[in-house]
Order: sequence, then C-alpha cells, then structure tokens
Amino acid sequence: MRSLFVMIVREAALIAFAAVLLGFGYGFVMKKGLFAPTQPTSNLPVAPPAPTFIDYEEALRCFREGSALFVDARHEYDYKLGHIRGAINVPLKDFDLATSPLAPTPKNQLIVTYCDGAECNSSIELAQKLAAAGFTNVKMFFGGWNEWQQHHLPTE
Amino acid sequence: MKALRKVIDNAFVALSARMLLGFIFVVASTDTIADPTAFATSISYYKIVGAPLTLIIATVLPWLELLCGLFLLFGMLTKGSSGLILLMLVVFTGGVLSGIARGLDISCGCFTRDPTVDKIGWLKVSENLLLIVLGFVCLFTNSTRFTLVHGVDPDSSPARRSASDAS
Repeated sequence: MRSLFVMIVREAALIAFAAVLLGFGYGFVMKKGLFAPTQPTSNLPVAPPAPTFIDYEEALRCFREGSALFVDARHEYDYKLGHIRGAINVPLKDFDLATSPLAPTPKNQLIVTYCDGAECNSSIELAQKLAAAGFTNVKMFFGGWNEWQQHHLPTE
Repeated sequence: MKALRKVIDNAFVALSARMLLGFIFVVASTDTIADPTAFATSISYYKIVGAPLTLIIATVLPWLELLCGLFLLFGMLTKGSSGLILLMLVVFTGGVLSGIARGLDISCGCFTRDPTVDKIGWLKVSENLLLIVLGFVCLFTNSTRFTLVHGVDPDSSPARRSASDAS
C-alpha cells in the first residue's frame, strides 16, 4: 500500500510539474490568460461606459421617472410568471440584438437589466453584451426580481 | 470485498474506466485551454477564490486535465493521473455543493464557457460522483493489461509492488 501511495505522489508530482510548465508556457507564447497583452489606451477608440450596478432605490427612481427601459434577462418561462411592470424580455440565452425587441432602441436609452437577484449572473452578462453592442447607458439592478417583489413594487 | 476486488481488477472494467474518464477530461480541457480568460471568469462566478488566483488556476488546471486524460487514455502514469483526477473531482464537487448551498445560479464551467448552459445542481454532483467511482477503479485496479505502464516504469507492475510491500 505504501509503495502505491509513493507511486501516486511521484507520478502526480511529475504530471503537475508538466502541467504548470505547459500552462505558463502556452500562455506566454500565445499571449493568453495571465500573459494577455494590455493594449495602450491612447490608441484605442473611446469605449462606452461600462455597465454599473444600481440598488433597488435607484431602480425604483428610474421606474417612477419612466426614464428607463427595464430588460428582464431571465428565461421566457420565468418572465411569463411575473416581471417588473413594463419590462421587456430579452433572455440571455437567445440574445441577438438584430432580432431582439431592443433592435430599434436608441443607443443612449437608459436600460436597466435584471434577473432573479443577487445570486444570478444573467443580468450582468446581458448588460455586458448590450454595452458591447453599443448601448452607452446600461445599468444592472443587482437585487433583481426577488428584491422587487420583496418591496411589493409594481409587477405584471 | 473479494467480489469488488475481482471486478476492479478485471482488465476490461479497468480499460473502460480509463477510456471513459480519460476521454471526458481531454474533452473538458480543450475549450478551457483555448480561452483561459473566459475560464477564469467562470471560476470567479463561484466566488471562492480571488481574481489573481482564478487566472493562475485557469492557466494550469486545463493542462492538468489534458495531461491526466491523455495519460489515462494511453495507459501511462495511470496511478498519478487517476489520483490527480480524483483530487480534482473532489474539489470540483465541493465547489458545486458550495454553490448550491449559497443558491448560486451559475454555469458549471466544466465543458463550455457558455454561461447559460450546464448549470450547477444535483445532476452535476451526481455526474461527478460517477466520475469519482471511475477514478477509484483506475486508482486501485491491479490490472495493467492494455496499458503502457511496463514500458515506462517496470517497478509499477503488481508483482513488483507486492514484492516491494513484502520487503
């Protein structure tokens, strides 16, 4: 049994060493991961502002002002069960700007994305995709559907 | 216990376990090797380790998976690779269980970087447990048929090991 353990440790150490060499070597040669180049900002086009998080008070203010377009990033099934009043459904899974309801939306429109709540990432992923697609005023409602319901705010 | 030992030592059972586990780990590694930054993002969604460490893990882990998978497929360094695979599977399962306990709605990050598929859940835990069983078969089998073990390390044959243990 002891010789088996020694063999496992010896072979595992050899493989782990090779994996470290290959991983760092490949990253260094291909300029990926840890070694991905950071481009000089002076030569880059001005990037649109990155999406920012807002809390429910800010989301509610946007909702009451009517200034924001709420975008539900959850699946269609969840959206149909209930959503923030006036929100449109753009499931992250099928996101394609050309075919989504957001296609005719002006790029400077304030958009608030949300999903279930603090423990989901769909709203973040969708906000990033929208920003990459050229939308300049995207915010992520971090508390999402769960927090909206907890405060008994308007739904449909 | 004897019956279990007989099954584990069956050359075809050991070969099947090696092939299946090796193939799965090779497949799992290809997507992550191609894009370590996206893999680091998947790891960060678990909210277990900090940003600098996720990038280091994303740099090394896919290669560890690839090497272990290849060694299992070719029947070389099988004890070390199955030991490492078992260790990885235990850590992965712990991560998934921790995610489930915290109610995280995230992608596993196991086979694809698409955040909308392969969500963590009890199915993923079951898959991992099945792979852990295969790992144990690869680790504890005495069968060296269909392997290249003897070609690389003659000391690793069961007969030599038994002799070594006796001494």
